[in-house]
Amino acid sequence: MRDRLDRWADPPLLVLASLAEEPKHGYAITQDIAETMGVRLSAGTLYAVISRLESRGLIEPLESGDRRRPYRLTAAGAGELAEQSERMRQVSSVAQRRLRANYGWGGA
Amino acid sequence: MSARRPRRAQGAGVLARVALGLYPPAWRARYGDEVQALLEDSGAGVRAAASLAWHAVPAWAWPARHLHDRPGRMRASLATTGMAWALLAGLAAVFVQLAQAQGSSQALTLARHPVIQGSYWVFDGAVIVSVLAVAAGGLPLWVRMVRDARGADRRPELAGLLAPAVVPVVFVAASTVIVGLARRPGVRVVPWQARPVADLASGMIGPWWFLALVVAGLAAAAVSAAGPAVALRRLRPDGRAVVLATRAAGLAAAAMGLAGAASIVAAVGLYLWAPADAGYHVGWQLAVYLPAVSLAAAVAIISSGRGLRAAREPAVA
Repeated sequence: MRDRLDRWADPPLLVLASLAEEPKHGYAITQDIAETMGVRLSAGTLYAVISRLESRGLIEPLESGDRRRPYRLTAAGAGELAEQSERMRQVSSVAQRRLRANYGWGGA
Repeated sequence: MSARRPRRAQGAGVLARVALGLYPPAWRARYGDEVQALLEDSGAGVRAAASLAWHAVPAWAWPARHLHDRPGRMRASLATTGMAWALLAGLAAVFVQLAQAQGSSQALTLARHPVIQGSYWVFDGAVIVSVLAVAAGGLPLWVRMVRDARGADRRPELAGLLAPAVVPVVFVAASTVIVGLARRPGVRVVPWQARPVADLASGMIGPWWFLALVVAGLAAAAVSAAGPAVALRRLRPDGRAVVLATRAAGLAAAAMGLAGAASIVAAVGLYLWAPADAGYHVGWQLAVYLPAVSLAAAVAIISSGRGLRAAREPAVA
């Protein structure tokens, strides 16, 4: 049940949001997501997501002499993130307005 | 405690490396080093290994397109489908031996239960379609690869391609000899056997010999499929023969999956409805057979499906 209500924590979206700050390698992505979004991604989940996002052209790898290859958001990835963020903002706005009106919840 | 922790971390690291080994070669080549680095940085635990192993399944079933070219995806699909199909064919042979080939008990069962009879018909028809599909779609590619391997004097690949023709014949010949010896009362097949291996009650070989033959048969099926799979990977054929084989593999996998489903219906039916003395009420046999058939059929169907998707894409000039 928790998973169904936890769509905001979709790993692909979290990775896109993390890379929106600056290019990062795998470990830096997991650290950033854990610290700023409170979600801990496992290695399997992270690289399944990276592979999928790279395949769709939403992120791209940067040249690196190290095994820790950084990734950056592409223009298509930024567009996808913007679209999803706007959708989430709309849902959030409606939810907060109705919570205030019907439950007296002031929000954060 | 302090000595135990590094050992546990070491064990988890080994588990993670094993889990990484479950991924397709192209995936490992592209991301393997990065994942290793991440595991070193974050500390590989059992959870990380389990997560890696879990995500290996979709990496095979839905391979990332940027990692595989179209012919490569078709070849990988053919190799995986071939292995799963061979296992299904081996299991189908076991099913035939245990069910359809058992004359007296079957006559009683079939007379009473048309569901089992219907399942047998579906099974037979689906197996015939599947074998014909393998022959029609696989032979042109096989002949082409044999020609390529001979032309380039690549003997290991040639040996691999001959495996599906030679290994089953060797297995059938060896098992015929073993069954002949095991059926003769008074003959000791192996020196350490305390008594003759003969089930005098039914006149058939005993259960341990049967089990040994089943294991050997499944091993023979695996070797028969592994030979062409390795040849596919090394010779890297391309063109119409690969597309035809991929389409035929889709049909063969679907038909063999249907045969597997029909055999499961029949096996469950025999378990439920066969006469008490017919020998079909052994739960562990079903507990092994059902998951084995389901898993092999799932692998064959998923893998052939991904090959069909690649075959539908336009060829790059």
